[in-house]
Amino acid sequence: MQQIPVYVFTGFLDSGKTKFIQETLEDPRFNAGERTLLLVFEEGEEEYDFSAYPHPNVYLEVLDQQTVSPKELQALAKKYKAQRVVAELNGMQQVGDLYTRFPEGWAVAQEVMFADSTTFMAYNANMRSLMMDKLLGAQMVVFNRLEPGADTMPFHKIARAANRRIDILYDYTDDTTAFDDVVDPLPFDINAPVIEINDEDYALWYRDVTEEPQKYAGKTVRFKGQVAMLRREKNGMFAPGRFVMTCCADDIQFLGVPCVYSNSKSLEPRSWVMVEATIAAQKHPLYQGELGPVLTAIRVEPATPAEQDVVTF
Amino acid sequence: MTKIDIYSGFLGAGKTTLIKKMIQEAYCGEKLVLIENEFGEIGIDGGFLQDAGINITEMNSGCICCSLVGDFGKALTQVIQEYAPDRIVIEPSGVGKLSDVIAAVEKVTSHNVILGNTVAVVDAGKVKVYMKNFGEFYNNQVETASTIILSRTDSIPQAKLDAAVVLLREHNADATLVTTPWGELTGTQLLEALESRHDMEEELKHLAHEHHHHHHHDDEHCFCGHDHEHHHHHHDEEHCCCGHDHEHHHHHHDEEHCCCGHDHEHHHHHDDDHCCCGNDHEHHHHHHADEVFTSWGVETTRKFTEAQIKEALHALDSGKYGMILRAKGIVACADGGWIHFDYVPEEHDVRFGSAGIIGKLCVIGSQLNEAAVPELFGV
Repeated sequence: MQQIPVYVFTGFLDSGKTKFIQETLEDPRFNAGERTLLLVFEEGEEEYDFSAYPHPNVYLEVLDQQTVSPKELQALAKKYKAQRVVAELNGMQQVGDLYTRFPEGWAVAQEVMFADSTTFMAYNANMRSLMMDKLLGAQMVVFNRLEPGADTMPFHKIARAANRRIDILYDYTDDTTAFDDVVDPLPFDINAPVIEINDEDYALWYRDVTEEPQKYAGKTVRFKGQVAMLRREKNGMFAPGRFVMTCCADDIQFLGVPCVYSNSKSLEPRSWVMVEATIAAQKHPLYQGELGPVLTAIRVEPATPAEQDVVTF
Repeated sequence: MTKIDIYSGFLGAGKTTLIKKMIQEAYCGEKLVLIENEFGEIGIDGGFLQDAGINITEMNSGCICCSLVGDFGKALTQVIQEYAPDRIVIEPSGVGKLSDVIAAVEKVTSHNVILGNTVAVVDAGKVKVYMKNFGEFYNNQVETASTIILSRTDSIPQAKLDAAVVLLREHNADATLVTTPWGELTGTQLLEALESRHDMEEELKHLAHEHHHHHHHDDEHCFCGHDHEHHHHHHDEEHCCCGHDHEHHHHHHDEEHCCCGHDHEHHHHHDDDHCCCGNDHEHHHHHHADEVFTSWGVETTRKFTEAQIKEALHALDSGKYGMILRAKGIVACADGGWIHFDYVPEEHDVRFGSAGIIGKLCVIGSQLNEAAVPELFGV
């Protein structure tokens, strides 16, 4: 089946999505005449101007993000013989929800989020889960309508807390732009003989080690966690981890790392332990075919509970 | 007695600004508790509230995935027990449904705890795009509110404001609509608008009715079983422009003796709930041909000059628009301020007065030319 790349633009209403897509499709470097299906799931103040495109092969369809079906999308791609899809998503809906309804052969080539810096803080404070949803999946976020000289650190912190690898672009009202080149040092030393993870940094470490397991291959780590048993592997394995909250009480989940430990049967579920283990990048059912961190215990000792029951990023 | 007022509205609509204005200008002197379920852009600063003797309770759940649940009712009950306030003002999350908040409040209402005003604050310039893209929660706020207060009406073109009013009316025919820029209204005027349902058309009809049926009351017994005093009571509780309560009229329909000058046909329309407030034009066209008088009323955000109003009233005397009995209006003046007018044939009183919450025009007469009158006023 033919692969169709999908360019996805997310963000709230009035965040500048339409304007950006319009300008991109006007640019001959992006629009060299490919047959482009433009899916619009949100209709704001800005409108598309087809007369400005260097090639006429852009086909617009306005759809409801909550109800659209794979069949419908497939039919549209066929109808226009689309070679690629550009999608403007509805900010009030979950991105992943739509992805599950993409037809076979559609692959997200890029996901870019737009955010109006004048409303971002209020929206983030009141609709954090929706904001996190957009930040988590995007490769890049553009904060626009910034006054020249404005403090960008608050935006940096929120974006990077949600997604360590996201590229951040600041777009100022005087038409200048700047890439965010602030480096966020990890709060632990990954080159130490034993990488010590402070209790409050578990979530950060977990995310980093699951995103880039190979970076940690062969290294030794020491952290405090709670004992969880793995459903399928009853012998010789457990999963030390912590309860992690991303956004609010409703999304608290247990994030543990599989750990080989011959004495695992002796461990009491949910009890606190200090774990020292070596890290390997391996396949494991938990990672659904991808490489992920798998620990081999050197030492597992009972420990006092961490001060905070639930850890955040 | 505790009255609970709810100010809903999407982020940035101006809820906090409005609540602050109401606290300063309208709720002063009341023992008030403010419950915030949103992290506002303009926080209401604690010092100001303390000076005003107001307790503030923040409910830390402004995020959409953990909206109002059990805790809210508990918190509300606690606030009532602890402070016994005159009024509780709730600023719910901007992305929540107003009906959910109302349902939660209704669980704690009793003989001395009542639900007061349910307000939707909407940014006039955003009505169209928000309705189209936000869907349910936004429409729910607009549809459920007893009063819709528009913000930033003075910073958008007239046509956009008119379109917003039409959209809001499509979703809520009964709510009191406030389109006047907040700076022109005092908190007291706003509170009055929230709490009373003053109906100009109603008042005018009553006046015309009195005028027209004067002789009945003097020398005849009236079969309709109600007098004008009586109508007044209904005005307070119901928003039907006929000024009679429906139940009551049903009986008359069956017995058919009615001298009140309305025919039954007319009342049937009320049954299928074409009710009132002077903004249902359809409704007014249904009056029977032999009815004594008909009325026309609209809400408008249009601005008029004094000369335009005077000219229009003069034109009403010409007979071209029917036999006009009375007309009345409060409209914004193009040069600032508000024009109030009262019309009886050959007698026009045009003056400047306090701001209305929205412009209103009303004309009553027999054989009223209902196509020409709106044209005359350009609405």
